[in-house]
Amino acid sequence: MNFNVMYRPSGAMAQVQLEGGEQLLAEAGAMIGMSPNMNMETQAKGGVGAGLKRMFSGESFFQNTFTAMNGPGEVLVAHSLPGDIVSIEVPQSALMIQSSSFIASHMGVTTSAKVGGFKTFFAGEGLFALRSEASGPGQQVLVGAFGGITEMQCDGNLVIDTGHLVAWDAGLTYKTQKSASGWLASFLSGEGLVCQFEGQGRVWIQSRNPREYGTLIGRQLPPA
Amino acid sequence: MDHQITHNPSFALLEVNIQPGELLVAEAGSMVAKDSHVGMEVKMNAGAKAGFFDKVKAFFIAFVRKIIGGESFFVNHFSAAQPGRVWVAPTLIGQVAHKKLGGGSFVMSSGAFVASMGDVDMKMKFGGLKSLFSKEGLFMLEVSGTGDVWFNSYGGIEEIEVNGTYILDNGHLVGYEGQLEYSLKKAGGGFISSMTSGEGIVLEFSGQGKIYMQSRNIPSFVGWVANMLP
Amino acid sequence: MKWDLRQRPDFGICQLTFDQPGEQMVVEASAMVARDSNVDMTTNMKGGLGGALKRKISGESVFQNTFTASSPGETLWFAPGADGDMECHIMDGSHSVMLASSCFVAAAPSVELDTKFAGVKGFFSGTKLFLIKCDGQGPLFFGSYGAIHAVDVGPAGYICDTQHIVGFTGGLDYQLRGVGGLKGFFASGEGFVCEFKGQGRLWLATRSAGGIASFLQPFRPTKN
Repeated sequence: MNFNVMYRPSGAMAQVQLEGGEQLLAEAGAMIGMSPNMNMETQAKGGVGAGLKRMFSGESFFQNTFTAMNGPGEVLVAHSLPGDIVSIEVPQSALMIQSSSFIASHMGVTTSAKVGGFKTFFAGEGLFALRSEASGPGQQVLVGAFGGITEMQCDGNLVIDTGHLVAWDAGLTYKTQKSASGWLASFLSGEGLVCQFEGQGRVWIQSRNPREYGTLIGRQLPPA
Repeated sequence: MDHQITHNPSFALLEVNIQPGELLVAEAGSMVAKDSHVGMEVKMNAGAKAGFFDKVKAFFIAFVRKIIGGESFFVNHFSAAQPGRVWVAPTLIGQVAHKKLGGGSFVMSSGAFVASMGDVDMKMKFGGLKSLFSKEGLFMLEVSGTGDVWFNSYGGIEEIEVNGTYILDNGHLVGYEGQLEYSLKKAGGGFISSMTSGEGIVLEFSGQGKIYMQSRNIPSFVGWVANMLP
Repeated sequence: MKWDLRQRPDFGICQLTFDQPGEQMVVEASAMVARDSNVDMTTNMKGGLGGALKRKISGESVFQNTFTASSPGETLWFAPGADGDMECHIMDGSHSVMLASSCFVAAAPSVELDTKFAGVKGFFSGTKLFLIKCDGQGPLFFGSYGAIHAVDVGPAGYICDTQHIVGFTGGLDYQLRGVGGLKGFFASGEGFVCEFKGQGRLWLATRSAGGIASFLQPFRPTKN
């Protein structure tokens, strides 16, 4: 299977090329186009409980499995917001993905909703983060974002604005804290809360904050 | 200081490498990430050695930017005792461009400011009704001095070298070099034609210098997406 | 005339340079960005009142602007309103092009545009019931939300999500169908898909207007 990511960063789309019999697991609604020999099957992977957890985490209850029948085929997938896509090989130590960034993965990747507790709640990104685990090496996940995606190396410690987080190596520890020393300064600085990462590992960030963008454009729209 | 801009033109991200003794001034709320040891202080937008009068001026600029431009009142000052990195990005989709100031002046939309470094002076330029009708707000921001300025646009930026006259649709102006002048014009022949053309009012630039135009404008995007709302 | 499509695929914009006085380009209302002062602009209802009415219903603008060069070397810049790509297809008279009604940006006056009712198929296909049928010769410019991905459809055909169609050449025809059975139809997030058959080129948008609209919906001001 080959992931060919095109049109980066704003209209990014992954062209997934499958050999006969290969399968792709994708978020509901992610398919843009496909060759007619692709078979699509809809299921709540991991059962109803897992489906519900996914739903609360901003993902969909059902997911689609695409299978190439009678020879090679292709599926085009993307997320719904403008922005970048990267493919990440899921490390043995697992990968954390911010809710709603999951697009598709190899079948050997298990992605489950993880209750982030107050930490993620205060980070302002909803109650859930997703945790992807791989059954072995070479298993990849396609991750989408609002903005361009930059991979950063956390070498000891790194501060990230909470609205710009996309994914991180599960081996990193993080705490949510004020951006400046005092509450007033934090508020005035416009940065609010930030995530302080510690340890060695990778962090992927998005160059725009979807909530700030939504607020700015939303207030210019006609009232609902 | 060295810097790089990635993900242009749609999702620009500016990375600035700050050396000891340098000060990066960036729009409040624009920080995406930083090395932990880089210090951040929230300030009103005045120069580093600002006296009382400068502070009053800074307050005025901040006030105007907040009220008219919808921008934030404050800026953040980033500095570091050892070299350190800061990443900043605007809120809107679009490009970030860099301009090195070497004594000349540059006029931009009051909302276009992203960051600056060095001895950069800012003042509000009252554009009057002309500026209001050009959808740039009543005030433009004029920057001068020596140093670096980063500014953003909605859409990608194209530079047009004007030598004579040139027409730009309102809503597409990002900035222009100080020696250019512009006036408002009807887009087409008659009044009806101007209104029905969808172009309405345009800006006619004259003189010699560069205009920076943006390839998209917010009202058009808002109009387009409003049709698609559930 | 010659043209340069710039900033693709993020923000397609066309810089057109006229070679001869009298050369013309017909541009959708409000798509002009900049021009030399001496390029003349006239506003007209193309196709008369009947044509304008059809365009109003189909979501295009009623008026179009015709730009005419007065001397060689004059420039005209135009761009669509949505954040996304722009493509130029040079019509050679051998085939027509069908465009989703909101995707038209500009064309030479020698290209004839006719708004067609697409019937029930159009209703479910996200092309808003109407397609623009383009015939004749000369350059035709169209835009999309997101990037434009071209698919050359061969004998096997191609399947695409109904919300992502930008346009297709005359040698193609499509049928609506469901995928993945009854469960797939309701739960897959894909609903109807379009199955293209024949020989020709299909243009897909990598994002759909529905995606950004539903994201922005909660940010709209409320009445009262």
